[in-house]
Amino acid sequence: MIAILRIGFCATDLGRAATPHPGRDPNPEGAPSLSRRSLARQGGVFDLVIILSVILLFTSCTHQPRIVVGCKNFTEQIILGELIAQQIENRTHLAVERRFYLGGTYIAHQSILAGRIDIYPEYTGTALTAVLKQSPASDPKAVYDRVKSEYENHFHLTLGPPLGFNDTFAIEVRGDDARRLHLQTLSQAAAYTPQWRAGFGYEFMERPDGYKGLVAIYGLRFAAPPRIMDLGLLTRALKDRQVDLIAGNMTDGLIPALDLFVLEDDKHYFPPYEAVPVIREQTLAEHPELKEVIDSLAGKISDAEMRQLNYAVDGQKRDVKEVVRNFLISKGLL
Amino acid sequence: MNFWNFIAQNRNQIDDLTLEHLWVVGVATLLAVAVGIPLGILITRKPRLQKPVIATANIIQTIPSLALFGFLLPAPWIGDRAGRLAILALMLYALLPLIRNTFTGIKGVDRGVIEAARGMGLTDRQLLFQVELPLAASVILAGVRVALVTSIGLATIAAAIGAGGLGELIFRGLAMVNNAVILAGAIPAALMALAADTLLGWLENRLAPQRAT
Amino acid sequence: MDTPEAIIEFRGVSYRPPNGQTILRNLNLQVQSGEILVLLGRSGSGKTTALKLTNRLLEISTGAIEIEGRPSSQWDVITLRRHIGYAIQEIGLFPHFTVGRNIGVVPAIENWPKDRIQARVAELLNLVGLPSEIASRYPHQLSGGQRQRVGVARALAADPPILLMDEPFGALDPLTRSDLQREFLSLQRKLRKTVVFVTHDLHEALLLGTRIALLEEGSLVAISTAAEFVKSPEPLVVKYMQAFGSAESVRGNQ
Repeated sequence: MIAILRIGFCATDLGRAATPHPGRDPNPEGAPSLSRRSLARQGGVFDLVIILSVILLFTSCTHQPRIVVGCKNFTEQIILGELIAQQIENRTHLAVERRFYLGGTYIAHQSILAGRIDIYPEYTGTALTAVLKQSPASDPKAVYDRVKSEYENHFHLTLGPPLGFNDTFAIEVRGDDARRLHLQTLSQAAAYTPQWRAGFGYEFMERPDGYKGLVAIYGLRFAAPPRIMDLGLLTRALKDRQVDLIAGNMTDGLIPALDLFVLEDDKHYFPPYEAVPVIREQTLAEHPELKEVIDSLAGKISDAEMRQLNYAVDGQKRDVKEVVRNFLISKGLL
Repeated sequence: MNFWNFIAQNRNQIDDLTLEHLWVVGVATLLAVAVGIPLGILITRKPRLQKPVIATANIIQTIPSLALFGFLLPAPWIGDRAGRLAILALMLYALLPLIRNTFTGIKGVDRGVIEAARGMGLTDRQLLFQVELPLAASVILAGVRVALVTSIGLATIAAAIGAGGLGELIFRGLAMVNNAVILAGAIPAALMALAADTLLGWLENRLAPQRAT
Repeated sequence: MDTPEAIIEFRGVSYRPPNGQTILRNLNLQVQSGEILVLLGRSGSGKTTALKLTNRLLEISTGAIEIEGRPSSQWDVITLRRHIGYAIQEIGLFPHFTVGRNIGVVPAIENWPKDRIQARVAELLNLVGLPSEIASRYPHQLSGGQRQRVGVARALAADPPILLMDEPFGALDPLTRSDLQREFLSLQRKLRKTVVFVTHDLHEALLLGTRIALLEEGSLVAISTAAEFVKSPEPLVVKYMQAFGSAESVRGNQ
């Protein structure tokens, strides 16, 4: 970094020298020309800037080895990020820095590629379709294996074992509608959708494993084009009868709380979204103790448990750190 | 969380992001200088190119920055790493002030000086490096200043596409609805822009040619 | 017949800018070695154009200019220009160079050794009557008269055999102008350069010119020595003489 800064400044100095002055100055008096004096002063300023940047560099270089844990910007991710962070803190001597609320899958991916973060929780289905841009598949193991090998080959990222739950898309309707119409599966619901309005999030509308494929596979037609809104507002809209069907997440904490019903994906359209930790190969090589931490989390969270954790934070408004700590204790992982 | 607490607890992160920001801006500006100044010189020599070159740079500038970032995403190699993309986009934005200021700076050199220099037998290269560029230096540097200061601001938006830098703190602070985090990104960026502006403004003054009273 | 050597010769020279009217028509003119040939005429008469065609700041449309026996088009343009001293009304000193460095521009690009340049600068400052400490000052610190003297010194720096001067004293006040004219004349007696001197001022023409060529609308109307000029019956010459006051007062200035 310093070398690059130096080169940058040298380049500008050379640029100034190229607007030539000294060397063949025929000035008989030998007095320094105005341009030479200002060159000297400019040199002084650049020295100052170099010194400042060196100081800045050194203040940041004196910190101890640390692991940067990242996550995206919704509740489940914050919980998983906190989980990983606390486990690292509990089981290793490494310092952990949290960079939560990264603005989406792409940003998280770019961050880990650039080394701004070392580890973050991703979903196999998302990795397959949104990052690797491959077509959706339905076998969880196949998806996991494919993502694992591609991530290793292309990105030098390692996939940890799945955490245990499948946060797939959940097509939700109100509980009373489901009971009244005796609905269990999406195929059954297809008969009623022409009378309904649907609500979906931005990513769902755009993703290859989202809206387009869903309506194609199930032959869904709606009364009007779907309303598009923020994920957080979807459940509320469903409850308030502004929409009749939404795509939420399987592990949404509010599903039981608000008496919402998840329609079964009987045609197995949605790919699996197993939660896995993604870690940089380099980080793992430098700190092999992290492997044990990641393995310790394998299969520890079921669908229902994730839903409960989400509800604790979203529904009961409890502090994430505390919720995670209690969970670790209850699982005997602390 | 209090602003100063956040700064104190996250000094490392802020340092990292500041350096990242400086890096992206620095490389982009250097590239823009390397491309823009020669282009500006070229159009003083070839008047027919003046309109198309400046018009192109103008059009690039009118594209909203976020749109340009997004537009470049699918490009091979560039789009793979957000840092490269940000550097390219920032460089494109910085071209117009550099090209335009180089052009006006050189054109603004006193006609009598140019005529005397050519009549004396200076080659075009000698004219450029010994007369035109030194006399245009102040104006060209003003272009660099504008390019640098706007780049520092634009680089905060680059965080939206994952390029990092201080903008990352701003976006995260927005997602967390936490002012301390927002300010932790916004204030260093503003200070950086101010410092660049002051430093280069001072340099411009030093380089401005003396006028007869 | 022993004709004096023609250093510069215009042969049927015409000039027409790309989108404009013809400025010079079929000009035939000789400049002899060691003389000051004054090109006299009103604005638009083509006198400055003729000058710029000589050092190829403009390119001839038809005809040819021979310089030291060779057509100007066959000279390397840079070599040609360095072979000719050029002084203009705006002077055009480089504001970011000291006086010394300004004077030494052509020697420097001709790669003279540093001490030779220094010596030459000192010599020239002496020649044009400027104090040696002025070499370290900047043009903006000088008076108009001092600046024009530096301009002349600069034109002479590489000791070119030919000088082209385009109303060099035009921007000065009458007293300074008069001083500089006299000094230039005495300089020329020493140096014996071949000079083409453009002016619209009859007094200056009669004072400085070995011969005077009167141009009107791009054509040569009359060419003669200064003495012949005042007696010339040419209608335009007479008009000029009248415009500048009576014949006697003009003759009296010489």
